[in-house]
Amino acid sequence: MRSHFAHLTLYSGIIATFFSVLTRRDRREQLRFAGLVWLAMAGGVLVLAYLMLPFPR
Amino acid sequence: MTETHPVPGGAVAEVSPGRLAAALIVGWLLPGAGHATLGRVRRGVLFFALIMGSFGLGLAHDGRLALYSPREGFLTGLQLVANMGIGPADLFARMSVYGEAAYTVPDQSAPLYRPRIEKFRERQRSVVSAYGTAYLWSAGLMNLLLLMDIWDIAKRRKD
Repeated sequence: MRSHFAHLTLYSGIIATFFSVLTRRDRREQLRFAGLVWLAMAGGVLVLAYLMLPFPR
Repeated sequence: MTETHPVPGGAVAEVSPGRLAAALIVGWLLPGAGHATLGRVRRGVLFFALIMGSFGLGLAHDGRLALYSPREGFLTGLQLVANMGIGPADLFARMSVYGEAAYTVPDQSAPLYRPRIEKFRERQRSVVSAYGTAYLWSAGLMNLLLLMDIWDIAKRRKD
């Protein structure tokens, strides 16, 4: 798999699920926390990528 | 983080030092097994799936199995810790990739030097190696975090 975006979503999913189960006990809280972490990771990368758009290699 | 694990009868579950040591050792040997030892079986199974999934993705994407080099001792040492956090699975991966339990960069005059470095560089040249390395190191570090979690559970700092 060579898609950077696919890796971004998959990796963020693994990390978000891990930390939600590690730090939260209630199922609803786990889902909420996992969603937030996933959004922060995936969204953060997309925002950074957008900000870097004017600076090509 | 201050929750305790109640047991029937209102008491708080006690974890003996021996059981704690066993949970830590088993947890390092097999991700998630430490939690299962302490009765958190479902959580253990999920952790196992996440960590071994990440490890498998790392191997499949030519992730870096770090070799300790005295020239960059601190960084390569940290990389080794991240790799070895997964337990014996790292050893098996090294035997499969390098053909032996390779953990260091041999001396340049040693006959082992060239084949080991070539193998290392071959994986590093892969276009997906950076992804694989992220998966591999994350798997090891997640397992180390689990060991700390086991400690917290045993010390009744959390459920």
